[in-house]
Amino acid sequence: MKRNLLLIGLVLGLALLSACGREQSEPTPTAGAEPTEEQVITLEFWYALSGKTGEAVEALVEQFNASHPNIHVNATYQGSYGEIMGKVWNAIYAEQTLPQVAHLGGAPLLGKTGAIVPITDFTEGANGIDRSQIYDALWEYNSAGGQIWSMPFNNSVPVLYYNRDLFAAAGLDPDRPPTTWDEVIEYGQALTQDTDGNGEVDQWGFNTHRDTHWYISAMFLENGAQIVNEEQTEVLYNSPEAVEMLQLWGDMVNKYQIMPPAQHKEAKGDFLAGKLGMLLRSCAGIPSAAEEVTFDLGVAPIPAIAGRDPVEPVGGGSLVIFRSDDQAILDAAWEFVKFMTSPDGSLHLSTHSGYVPIYKDALEWPDLQVYLEEHPLQRVPIEALQYSYAIPVFPALGTSDGALRQAVEKVELGAATPQEALNEAKAVVDKNIAEQQ
Amino acid sequence: MLRSKRARKTVFAIFWYIVLGITAVAVMLPYIWMLSTSLKGSDEVFAYPPNWIPRTWRFQNYVEAWNAAPFGRYFLNSAVVALAVTIGQLITCSLAAFAFARMEFKGKDVMFALFLSTTMISTQVTLVPSYLVLKTLRWLDTYQALIVPFLANAFGVFMMRQYFMTLPRELEDAAKLDGCGRLRFLWQVLLPLSKPIVASQALFAFMGNWNSYLWPLIVTTSEHMRTLQIGLRYFVSQEGGTQWGIFMAATVFVSVPIVLFYLFVQKSFVEGIATTGLKGA
Repeated sequence: MKRNLLLIGLVLGLALLSACGREQSEPTPTAGAEPTEEQVITLEFWYALSGKTGEAVEALVEQFNASHPNIHVNATYQGSYGEIMGKVWNAIYAEQTLPQVAHLGGAPLLGKTGAIVPITDFTEGANGIDRSQIYDALWEYNSAGGQIWSMPFNNSVPVLYYNRDLFAAAGLDPDRPPTTWDEVIEYGQALTQDTDGNGEVDQWGFNTHRDTHWYISAMFLENGAQIVNEEQTEVLYNSPEAVEMLQLWGDMVNKYQIMPPAQHKEAKGDFLAGKLGMLLRSCAGIPSAAEEVTFDLGVAPIPAIAGRDPVEPVGGGSLVIFRSDDQAILDAAWEFVKFMTSPDGSLHLSTHSGYVPIYKDALEWPDLQVYLEEHPLQRVPIEALQYSYAIPVFPALGTSDGALRQAVEKVELGAATPQEALNEAKAVVDKNIAEQQ
Repeated sequence: MLRSKRARKTVFAIFWYIVLGITAVAVMLPYIWMLSTSLKGSDEVFAYPPNWIPRTWRFQNYVEAWNAAPFGRYFLNSAVVALAVTIGQLITCSLAAFAFARMEFKGKDVMFALFLSTTMISTQVTLVPSYLVLKTLRWLDTYQALIVPFLANAFGVFMMRQYFMTLPRELEDAAKLDGCGRLRFLWQVLLPLSKPIVASQALFAFMGNWNSYLWPLIVTTSEHMRTLQIGLRYFVSQEGGTQWGIFMAATVFVSVPIVLFYLFVQKSFVEGIATTGLKGA
């Protein structure tokens, strides 16, 4: 999950907006949207998914265009979440042409610019949908300031990837992956090995992907800690519950020595090369990992504290509809968004990528059942959605993610105690929140 | 005596060739790895220990890479933009450098200092203001947006000025006596003598533009105005996995023109060094 990049973009954009202190007039999305003689409405759609997932999005757009003769969607790839958000901010700031629909990460933060229409204006309308069919956490993930702004589209949760061959070689049962952090440590100790006997570990037990803020946040939440207060005026992760979990993280590096310090950037490569037993990473990478590994791959839900439920913080992108004075354009845009996020759209995306279907009853869909029989690993994140949770979206989230990653690194390297590291992180983020108000 | 001198020379040469060889290998390694990866399937990319020669050669990667995006159009756009910027920079930089190196006018030093100071401002700082200017000109999503902002380059002016200043004044005096005007002197005497610096400046301008990513991404929105580097970005996945084999295949064909351009410029580079000086002038 590259939310960090996006949030850097966001923070930059926000900083620009506030620094210039200018009135934000509503941008005017018009060009390319006028109905032609034949009354075909053209919609510009910006999206941020590339590679095979990008192809799945394009295929969906083609399906839509083929089945809707009076609407034509012109889809263009606009870079990563961070880059596309940068473009949107630039366009809003310069009152430049915006697309009619965009695929964004951190979308609800656009709400207060007035550039987008709350998605509930459409979901609750005559041509609406039954919102209760979609996971609550996904709606919360698309909310800011008590309003649902965007439509969930491609979502993922962290899962534990593990190497079944290394499990078997270490005398562990590959069919019983760890479910608690205690087990992660126990398994990790069996998996951490100095295979060539030179006194240096060359096979590690456990590591996480580079977006460590996501995983430490999940651990905080599992222990009952909160990320931010109700009013979103201060972050709360220097609480004893949070400190305890960062302590556990640090212990995995320094006390139990199952995780190498500050090597999260290399973790994915190490895992795929068979030098790492367990990797915590977004489920979006399951299909490509399954192709890239030369060993038997296993996937399990995120570990939990013994006796408690795990917490799966959702990530991913959403679809937004930009404001327009022309109701016909808004209706067409909603028709498109509705199509993309319909059970059929969700089925297509989740069977052509590692993203999860957004509907609660997805596991009962016959087509998905057929797909999961051939791709059993992808069942794991879908089942884990019962524990899905949305980390609140607040404007300093980018700063917060960065501060958390720093705190994790400090603790891993022994440069600070968990309490000190989290106090510092809180100070930085609270200052940022204050500056934005 | 002679023998031992030659022997020492040989030993010295061998030593240098070894050093150069090691450096060359170190420089080439990433390229060789890129080439090797471009021919691998997904299951081999992360293999450990790494294999330099793919077990199964997958030329299909190149076909898939080429078809993944309209690379024909991207090549055309990148070529038009990079060449226009390179030629434009050579013209503006040599003219400005000539003025700063050879002419006397009021405020020359202050102006030069101002020129230089612009090199300290990073592109990120000017990104939004530049965007706003282009928006006012209604140039967004056009070739002008990709070319015009880069037609002048302070570093190029600085580099050329420094070089022009090292060329002897006598040349200009002699040319003047023969009735040669300033522009003609610049074109017929100064620039031919400055081939190495012209070649370096051309290389910098071409490479910088060929590789630029953020600016084209921000100012273009439609598919047919996009450049190669944005096409490459298409292979890097958001949260999922990147298809490295195909990505590297695309990187190979995107970097080939730069290598060719370098080889082309390298010749005049060497030639320029050989002919620099007063001989025959």
